[in-house]
Amino acid sequence: MNKLMTTALVLTVGAGLSMSATASTPTEDNNAIKKYFNVKFPKVADTEYVNGVYAVDPIGRESWEAIEDFPPYETFIDEGKAMWDTPFANGKTYKDCFPDGPVLAHKYPHWNAEKKMVMTLPLALNNCRTVNKEKPLKYKKGAINNIMSYISWESRGKVTNVVIPEGDEGALAAYKAGQKFYFQKRGQLNFSCATCHMQNAGQKLRSDVLSPALGHTTHFPVYRSKWGTVGTLHRRFSGCNKQVRAKPFKAQGEEYRNLEYFLTHMSNGLELNGPGARK
Amino acid sequence: MLKTTTLGFIVTALLLTTGQAMAAAHAASAADPAKAKAVDALIKEANVERKKAASVGGEWRDIGKMLKKAAAAKDKHDYATATKLATKAKRQGELGHGQAVSQSVFKTPSYLKY
Repeated sequence: MNKLMTTALVLTVGAGLSMSATASTPTEDNNAIKKYFNVKFPKVADTEYVNGVYAVDPIGRESWEAIEDFPPYETFIDEGKAMWDTPFANGKTYKDCFPDGPVLAHKYPHWNAEKKMVMTLPLALNNCRTVNKEKPLKYKKGAINNIMSYISWESRGKVTNVVIPEGDEGALAAYKAGQKFYFQKRGQLNFSCATCHMQNAGQKLRSDVLSPALGHTTHFPVYRSKWGTVGTLHRRFSGCNKQVRAKPFKAQGEEYRNLEYFLTHMSNGLELNGPGARK
Repeated sequence: MLKTTTLGFIVTALLLTTGQAMAAAHAASAADPAKAKAVDALIKEANVERKKAASVGGEWRDIGKMLKKAAAAKDKHDYATATKLATKAKRQGELGHGQAVSQSVFKTPSYLKY
């Protein structure tokens, strides 16, 4: 009898341990995150999160809606179209690299099984330039934002659909690395991305309302009034890391590409709404 | 008479203060090889900690800046400032490393319900 009870106890404890050790799937993560925001902001429809902080900041939203009548990113879209249409020195254009373009933004980021890495749109654009003997663009400031604004504008309404290929351990590892990064506390201020954009979303940080993580990637690149220009997602990652007094990582380096993979996957099902205008 | 005496005191006090400040400045600007060597060693230790933190993705923002300022202060023979900065940089390197190691295993936060 004692042996039987001991065996039963060991099996129960073992089962319990294995349950807590089972990792969640990306789909389960997304469902949990959406559920979290639905509870936190019960009056905000899922589709509203494409508007970023203005989904949860009604006062800021009024100014933003007025700004959107004459959006500050318009000239960047025009410059970007000119870039798209202008042939490289060798006569080829971006269209030769991206036959489906410029409606492209919804295809990124994605897992590149051949190169075993997350491929982002800025990286793909620069790969196109390099192959055509053009100088690559910088990843945070400058002309990259023009062409990204144009592609983003043309891709408006397309639905975010980041795929983590079934059975591809590399892709899942990249997603998990991005997830870990998102929730890791860093910097002298000991904050994670989640500290502000999940736990404290909707709260004020000095005079600014913290935006919810859900929908973040739908409206990049973004014109920030603080920058006085359009900037990329990785520029924002870098700025956020500096704000918590962590040394930022390299734009388009592995850390930020994996982070983008996780963060964009979180917004699966949401329409693209870039470029955006923010405070 | 009283006004002249008061004025005299004020002038003397001013001269003394200026003299002390000049003496302090002179002392700070004087090279001290032993102190410079100690600061160099401290900067080296701080750099080791900075690299350890960086190796686990935990380097903090200001460590590099502090080390540059420490080196600049040492060059101006301001060893007190250099020591203070290098000590702070070293400590931040240690803390950054400890923080990154403590965060190395992902745990689903309790506020996400699965």
